[in-house]
Amino acid sequence: MPDQEKDKDKDRDRDKDRDKDRDREREKDKAPLVVAPESPVAAIPPPAIKSASEVEEEASHYFFGEPLVGFDPAEITGTLVVIEGMDGSGRSTQITLLQEWLESEGFAVQTSGLRRSNLVGSDIDQLLAKNAVTRLTLALMYATDFFDQVEHRILPALRSGTVVLADRFIFTLIARGVVRGINRDYMTGLYAMALRPHLTFWLNVRPETAFGREFKKSQAISYWEAGRDMSLSHDLYWSFIRYQTMIKREFEVMAKRHSFIELDGEASVANVNKQLRQRIGEQLGIRATKYTPSSALAHLWR
Amino acid sequence: MENQEVLQKPRVEPGKSTLPQPGRPVPSRAYPGALIVVEGTDGSGKSTQLYLLKRWLEIGGYRLHFTEWNSSPLVKSATRRGKQRRLLTPTTFSLLHAADFADRCERQIMPLLQGDYLVLADRYIYTAFARDAARGCPARWLRNLYRFAPVPDITFYFRTPLDIAVHRILSGRPKLKYYEAGMDLGMSYDRAESFRLFQARILEEYDKMVDTDNFVVLDGTIPVNKLQKQMRDIVASKIDLKRFAPRIQEAE
Repeated sequence: MPDQEKDKDKDRDRDKDRDKDRDREREKDKAPLVVAPESPVAAIPPPAIKSASEVEEEASHYFFGEPLVGFDPAEITGTLVVIEGMDGSGRSTQITLLQEWLESEGFAVQTSGLRRSNLVGSDIDQLLAKNAVTRLTLALMYATDFFDQVEHRILPALRSGTVVLADRFIFTLIARGVVRGINRDYMTGLYAMALRPHLTFWLNVRPETAFGREFKKSQAISYWEAGRDMSLSHDLYWSFIRYQTMIKREFEVMAKRHSFIELDGEASVANVNKQLRQRIGEQLGIRATKYTPSSALAHLWR
Repeated sequence: MENQEVLQKPRVEPGKSTLPQPGRPVPSRAYPGALIVVEGTDGSGKSTQLYLLKRWLEIGGYRLHFTEWNSSPLVKSATRRGKQRRLLTPTTFSLLHAADFADRCERQIMPLLQGDYLVLADRYIYTAFARDAARGCPARWLRNLYRFAPVPDITFYFRTPLDIAVHRILSGRPKLKYYEAGMDLGMSYDRAESFRLFQARILEEYDKMVDTDNFVVLDGTIPVNKLQKQMRDIVASKIDLKRFAPRIQEAE
């Protein structure tokens, strides 16, 4: 059976490669992960890794760890902008305004957000409504939803030079898993193939402020927003505050690691929007970032 | 709170690697039950053999539960939709099956192992490792994805030559499904040919795990009853079956 012998050799080689990969991963773990906020090209890791194949090296500027199956970095011509922040931090308002501004500047815009995939978006809604799901299953369903959008919505848009405005990203999903006791390494490993954003904004607000805004929006606080599944408090207000504080702490950890651009989400809509436009303008090469919303959106410009 | 233990259990050597320790038994078992798993390519004979093992144990009155890969109602609709509309990519295919498995693991397998049951699984995480790696998913990512899963007490690997296994499937099944045949990989326009190429890749991935994951390799080509005898002997020698049959001391 000479063929089998050959296969064994192949396997051995592969094992060696795998070991190398593992070593490299350990190396990476030692150094804090730095994401350059300006451009993905700036995030090239120190050239210590020579054994890595070019494809993988290329891929590492685009992902947090592993390359996505079937991904070709040369195709990316668009810009990925992520807006993170807790419920009531003003994310969706800002994204609506940014979309109008970018379109008026002649940029094509695609948006994405949690639970918007065709594959499992509606299934997650049902699971949440029924409230009969374990945290790990839910975390994996969210991951499915996320990657479905990456592959069917975000990547196609980035390939065609579109600006993608992501209403939340892996950071919220990681934080939610971690505060529920899922191993942090597990959560970050799950999203190793997630695209690295060009810019990640964090609209930081105090949970107390967020509570008021959310309550005003729908005259109620939802089960999941308040983290009721975690049995933090029977009092809805305190449950919300404690849960959002835990999430916020996770964000503080990630903010340093992933170079979030932190903005004061309690400032006025116009003020936050101005700061967003400046940073995005720099990224896209838009010089004048003056903007007044159209009459259709004027109500958002409080 | 048991779940928390399960999730943290694979962290044997924290800080060293995000990988679980493949194949290494969990040092201090957090549950009294036992887990027996069968793995192998389609047509390797594993399901038949597990069925016979289950019958043997059932007739003997043992406390057991049987679980299949991909059987949770929770994500069934999503899987069906994804397959029908061909929305699934290697990544989402893998994640959806992981969500399905997580549900089964958290709601059936773990509670039953805690409750001192013998759990028989027709396919386990190694199916995902082999199949999803054959689709191109990074091995390290896959290992992390499933590291909440308890390590089996016995993993039977039914090794059957490709030609025999493929023949068994093609002769019994008139039409192969799209994903089953690995058509999404675009290796061939012919479903039977695509299936064959896909199975060859899976077989290669399985073979890699024999040592790392302590597979008990069985020859899927020997007569059914003889193979079953081997399987029962191994089960009896590796697992203290008496624990699962309080009233009956000897099953056969």
